[in-house]
Amino acid sequence: MSLSARMILVLTLVGLISGGFLAAVATLTKERIALNVQAEIEEAIKEVVDDAAVNQVVHEEEDLLIYRELGEDGELVGFAVQATGVGFQDKITLMFGLDATLTEITGLTIIDQKETPGLGAKIEDWEAFLQFWENRDAAGHLALRKPPASTIDKLLPTEINTITAATISSKKVLGIVNLSLERVRELIKQGKMKPEEKDGN
Amino acid sequence: MATRSIKAEYLKGLWDENPVFRQLLGMCPTLAVTGTVVTGIAMGLATAFVLILSSIVVASIKKLIPAQVRIASYIVVIASFVTIADQVLKAYFYPISEALGPYVPLIVVNCIILGRQEAFSSKNSVGRSFIDALGMSSGFILALLVLSSIREILGAGTFLGYQVMGAWFKPWIIMILPAGAFITLGILLGIALLIESKTKRS
Amino acid sequence: MSEKVFIIQSSPHFQDKDSVPKIMFTVIFALLPAVVASVYFFRLRAVGLYVSCLVACFATEAIFLWVRKKPFQSLWDGSVVITGLLLAMTLPPTLSLELAVIGSIVAVAIGKQVFGGLGHNIFNPALVGRAFLQTAFPVAMTTWLPPATLAVDTATYATPLGNLKFQEAVVQGTLTPIKQLFWGNSGGCIGETSAIALLLGALLLLTKKTIDWRIPAGILLALTAFTGIFWLAGPDKYASPAFHILAGGLLIGAFYMATDMVTSPIHPKGIWIYALGIGIMVGLVRLFGGFSEGVMYSILFMNTFVPLLNRTFRPRILGERRKIT
Repeated sequence: MSLSARMILVLTLVGLISGGFLAAVATLTKERIALNVQAEIEEAIKEVVDDAAVNQVVHEEEDLLIYRELGEDGELVGFAVQATGVGFQDKITLMFGLDATLTEITGLTIIDQKETPGLGAKIEDWEAFLQFWENRDAAGHLALRKPPASTIDKLLPTEINTITAATISSKKVLGIVNLSLERVRELIKQGKMKPEEKDGN
Repeated sequence: MATRSIKAEYLKGLWDENPVFRQLLGMCPTLAVTGTVVTGIAMGLATAFVLILSSIVVASIKKLIPAQVRIASYIVVIASFVTIADQVLKAYFYPISEALGPYVPLIVVNCIILGRQEAFSSKNSVGRSFIDALGMSSGFILALLVLSSIREILGAGTFLGYQVMGAWFKPWIIMILPAGAFITLGILLGIALLIESKTKRS
Repeated sequence: MSEKVFIIQSSPHFQDKDSVPKIMFTVIFALLPAVVASVYFFRLRAVGLYVSCLVACFATEAIFLWVRKKPFQSLWDGSVVITGLLLAMTLPPTLSLELAVIGSIVAVAIGKQVFGGLGHNIFNPALVGRAFLQTAFPVAMTTWLPPATLAVDTATYATPLGNLKFQEAVVQGTLTPIKQLFWGNSGGCIGETSAIALLLGALLLLTKKTIDWRIPAGILLALTAFTGIFWLAGPDKYASPAFHILAGGLLIGAFYMATDMVTSPIHPKGIWIYALGIGIMVGLVRLFGGFSEGVMYSILFMNTFVPLLNRTFRPRILGERRKIT
């Protein structure tokens, strides 16, 4: 057998055997990986919308995913908005909840971020950042409070605390939320998202 | 080639030919994922998995491979094991896989692995290659463990997530940033060289 | 005894009457007005920082010399005192003393001794210590106090530059007045606030030719040009060059840190590139960067180019002919 023929044969064989193994491993792990990703999303939704039991996707874009959340008995309990935007270092993917009437942000959680450890990465921290996102006004633009207030009661409903020494990351998160809120309002206007009527109709 | 005892074949990876401190190979994961001990050890184990299995496979098929395509074949073997490690981590250790991020697929380009195939497994028996890979892996894990312990204790005041420093301690944030990795590695390399020169002299 | 001897010796054949201690003590003397000003403005906090930085720097140097079995005489040449003083002067008044000690140890150990001691370091040691502290303790290093002479009743206080960057001081009209910056009655690192005190010392260094005038000249020129263009284009949005020169650590950096003989280039052409580079970097960071102040990183950044500049621009060797063009 000539050398080149042997080279082709060996490389093909190595490739085929590896490919076979990889295909087997991929089939074995695919389901579990998908479950893990889904569990992470469901976990995030539970953190921002209380009593959410059923998730229905109402709007899907590359950087904006909106779920309609139903409770145990099928009643509307709120909306969960998953948004991706540019952070200080890399993309930030976050999830925030809206109440059923779409007037209030019920909470925020970070799904994925690569901000500076110890500084910007505190956007994942409950004490430093996330606790200040409960019951914020969703009607207009939210603003940063700098220097930060000590407790959430001292903030206006339209204000968010800044993380000390991580102003940029705080600003980026706020920017993503503000932009998403704008798009949600646009979707409501277009009739693609329906808030619960306040008088119960 | 002078044959070493099995024990010496294993031990050389721990110190004399330690991949990180003596050969300066695999610097990318060494610097990138040693911010916490958990990610450091996870990276060490994933690399060990790939290194050991690749060495066994390469040593057993070394006679079949023409010299011209050996590097390509080694890389295919290594890449396969890396992909397996990546998938398994994603499926069964999801949080760790998230924390390691792109550095698991990047094990493919870890010079320690290709270096051992080229320098050792392609010339030695399966058994010796296995011992060599085991030794190198232990050396690599040891280096990552030392580096990540220093960085986590100083950078966060914790070890494996448990608080070890008192409330008086202010974490040195620089240590969990890339700058801290470079400073710590530099100091450790200096110490390694110092020990080496002291033992050689006496 | 009067026998003629033919002396064979290696270079240098010409020696300046300046010695290392003489130069160092001139710099220390020139720093004194600013030290006094910092104690006046920040009282006991300044004293505490000076004492802890000086003691820690001194002790670290001594330990390293002892471990490395080097003569102790370099302990007394004054270079450690300058490192300690400059480090303390660039720390915020609120910094706890144990952090100042950590910074001092890093400055002398990693900034200087690891490279082989005085004359071998690439970076200004005091700035290495400060850069370490800035990255290790970002919150502590950006917590400011108003000077004791300023009756402001606030828990947190912004530096003039922080005010400019994060509070849109130009738009709000709350920019710190130039006069206040000139005397030093403003917030900031303890030794950088008083422009007049720093300039007094700088005058001494320039007349004694202890520092090369091109370095501060180049830095000031580049920063003035850079910030001047933006100021002229949008005076309602950007601060004036005068503000940028007097605020923050520019003067102490330009006259006392960038001029460090070990870490600045030798040839005039190299010096100009080095100095202009620092000035432009400071402007870039202050106007467009994530930090409000960029003097420290600019000097450290240009320090890295010094070996390259020294290789590119070599002084003419004695006796060598000028290039014939």
